[in-house]
Amino acid sequence: MLRPSRSLTRYLPSFPLAQHLLLHCLYRKLLPIMGPYDSGAMTASSSSPGTSPSNFDGLLAGAGYIWRSSDLQKVAQRLECLENVVVTSPSDVSHLAVDGVIHHNPSVEASWVDSLLSELIPLVPGSESCSAAAFSDPHSAGGSSSPCSSLNPAAVIATCTDQSTNQHQHQSQQPLTVVCTDAEEDSGIRLVHALMTCAGLVQRGDLSLAGSLVEEMKALLTRINTGRGIGKVAGHFVDALGRRLYQRVRVSVTGVGFEHEILYHHFYEACPYLKFAHFTANQAILEAFHGHDCVHVIDLSLMQGLQWPPLIQALALRPGGPPLIKITGVGPPSQDGRDSLKEIGLKLADLARSINVRFSFQGIVAFRLEDVKPWMLQVSRNEALAVNSIMQLHRLLWSGSSLDLVLGWIRNFNPNILTIVEQEANHNQSQFSDRFTEALHYYSTLFDSLEACHLQPHKALAEMFVQREISNIVCCEGSARVERHEPLRKWRARLVDAGFRPLNLGSDVFKQASMLLTLFSAEGFSVEEDEGCLTLGWHSRPLIAASAWQAELQGNSQV
Amino acid sequence: MAGSNEINLNECKKIVPLNTWILISNLKLAYNLLRRPDGTFNRDLAEFLERKVPPNTIPVDGVFSFDVFDKSTNLLNRVYKPAPINEDQWGIIDLEKPLSTEVVVPVIVFFHGGSFTHSSANSAIYDTFCRRLVRLCKASVVSVNYRRSPEHRYPCAYDDGWAALKWVNTRPWLRSGKDSKVHIYLAGDSSGGNIAHHVAVRAAESGVVEVLGNILLHPMFGGKKRTESEKKLDGKYFVTIQDRDWYWKAYLPEGEDRDHPACNIFGPHGKNLEGLKFPKSLVVIASLDLVRDWQLAYVDGVRKAGHEVKLLYLKEATIGFYFLPNNDHFCMLMEEIKNFVNSNCQ
Repeated sequence: MLRPSRSLTRYLPSFPLAQHLLLHCLYRKLLPIMGPYDSGAMTASSSSPGTSPSNFDGLLAGAGYIWRSSDLQKVAQRLECLENVVVTSPSDVSHLAVDGVIHHNPSVEASWVDSLLSELIPLVPGSESCSAAAFSDPHSAGGSSSPCSSLNPAAVIATCTDQSTNQHQHQSQQPLTVVCTDAEEDSGIRLVHALMTCAGLVQRGDLSLAGSLVEEMKALLTRINTGRGIGKVAGHFVDALGRRLYQRVRVSVTGVGFEHEILYHHFYEACPYLKFAHFTANQAILEAFHGHDCVHVIDLSLMQGLQWPPLIQALALRPGGPPLIKITGVGPPSQDGRDSLKEIGLKLADLARSINVRFSFQGIVAFRLEDVKPWMLQVSRNEALAVNSIMQLHRLLWSGSSLDLVLGWIRNFNPNILTIVEQEANHNQSQFSDRFTEALHYYSTLFDSLEACHLQPHKALAEMFVQREISNIVCCEGSARVERHEPLRKWRARLVDAGFRPLNLGSDVFKQASMLLTLFSAEGFSVEEDEGCLTLGWHSRPLIAASAWQAELQGNSQV
Repeated sequence: MAGSNEINLNECKKIVPLNTWILISNLKLAYNLLRRPDGTFNRDLAEFLERKVPPNTIPVDGVFSFDVFDKSTNLLNRVYKPAPINEDQWGIIDLEKPLSTEVVVPVIVFFHGGSFTHSSANSAIYDTFCRRLVRLCKASVVSVNYRRSPEHRYPCAYDDGWAALKWVNTRPWLRSGKDSKVHIYLAGDSSGGNIAHHVAVRAAESGVVEVLGNILLHPMFGGKKRTESEKKLDGKYFVTIQDRDWYWKAYLPEGEDRDHPACNIFGPHGKNLEGLKFPKSLVVIASLDLVRDWQLAYVDGVRKAGHEVKLLYLKEATIGFYFLPNNDHFCMLMEEIKNFVNSNCQ
């Protein structure tokens, strides 16, 4: 007894048996006969007459359809069959056929007609438009454009980049791609594609075209939800691009100042990245200070000193009693005449006094880290020294000498430990479009993770903090571009070159960090270990990395 | 019904080259499934299935293109220009210098077809067609991405067309000739032809923009009554009365019938074009288009109102014959258009 395939049944549920039989025959007999595409890539806009060398009908290719000339007859037959079938059924059934159907990826198939008949995907991109991401969520009949899970920007971008790089690798081995047709998803994908195209244009210097693309993207943005997901991230990037192209005077968002500190604080509260950074560094510092009576911490960017109360408390509680603690905090000059460094120092001193810890503080005012002179830091020989850098070292990368300078005097101090936390991203590549694409990936993941955090107003202001980073990466160049993030592997190389050796953060730290994360953060964050360093990421994409270092042994060491 | 449909398909295949037949049938099939009987349209799927192409600033076959978004009207237009002779200039989009200071370079404002519902300026079929226009007619083309029905009904498409026309007219980089003006022709196929007519009327009434000529490529017109050609050709050459009705219902304001002046130009509610400074027209009619009687009535009506119309009546041509340049009709069409837009050249 002939029975049609399950999917065909789903397509045309109310067909009488005779027509089911007809469809089944078609299904059996008219399997697609197209083979894998050869690598003679064709541009959809080619208007070459007649047949191209690779046997594809050149004229149809110009219209976006890739078929071999030799196959045209058979394609025509199949179209006729399908038409007969569809025509004999009432039009409301054919409408069901579409709304309840598994849609295939049209940039891979030559004819969706075939998919309707046979469920197999023949070929090849017909146009350069970015295809939709694959979601493994087949429709059930009856729901037209049923919603997918909220559009994951990172997934969208991953698929988009795959498509654009795989354009000329036409896979017939590509598995069945099942797709939801969601207008917003489609706009989101277009947006990502447009963003990357725009970055390429900016890189090539095609600025007026990039500008019109920015306008087009702004239009696309009106069609999607910019409150979350891909819309939000894309919105920031479109803004940044717009500013890069149109602002005559680039306002350099260098991330310094009172406002920056506020936003930093909210970023700290909203999501676990900074808390993780502080915790991990503090654990390493605590270990390094073991057995010392005099300890000195140099914080290369004090901000609001959020990192230090837990360390002071931990030192207060250690067996044998607390050491004498000195903290040196580096920070920019205050804009409103206050001495904010001193204020924070006083707060920390208050805390220390309340738990009976001998404490002193000094503030070093410097607009840039490279302006700090070693003698200002008043490092003495009998103290254990920890130098702590949370997301600061990358700011020195705009000039080759700045980083060398700073690492040089750190090394000369021979600290017991140098703790470094940096964004785990590659935003300092020489090509603009490379940086841009990386940033798009990175910040999409970051925003994804922020969505999991609910604390308001922290979340909104945290986003502002992140948005400034994006702006800096996209809009600024030269010394104004301070957000020159580099991944752990590059930092390893730089630090080893500068005469440091890595310290293993230790499995205890790893366990504790993981535990704290589970207790205090949303699902989805993960702590990983990376050759003695620790990273915190979102769904196994590391976003921030913590490492510890010591100066390479030269003669006597203080350890 | 199945039987007679088979005859239809066979007959059609004899007349039309195979690849054209496949192209148009493919479109037809897709469109059938996108139109819902309740008058709504599966826009998501339509966009998904549509073959679109990006513009290219590096010329291909002597033509390059770029998209321009006009903030004030929210319109996206795709501009096509002949490639600069100097290769050093390739990839640069000049939005300042005119097309030429010596000769007149016609600018064709093109409204793509799709029965007011389908396609866009960046659809592969229309992008390719516009490129051919540039090359064969030595013109610059601006393809307008007007808003489509059923989401945007009458008069949105005309409003967008008019906005685009005014925009084109004020672009210094589209000027040419010693008089440094933008030399504009309106063109469109199917619904695009309908839009071209209405925009030309608006231009003539406003007196603000001069349109040098209209090119209507089997324009989409209709009316309440069923004409001979509709009855005779229903379903025979890719198009049915039923689908025409659906598109009109999706475009015209709710509750209006096909004698609405947008559809039936010289019908009971039609506007009087006498005395209006209406441009000369080139109307191309495919004899196997089921609305050909309405198109012939249009030609009559325009002539009676005292305006010049050149009629190109193509025997044994079906709709969409110009998508692929594989037939004589295509060549004739391009020749006519070329002469039409270059006849004013100094």
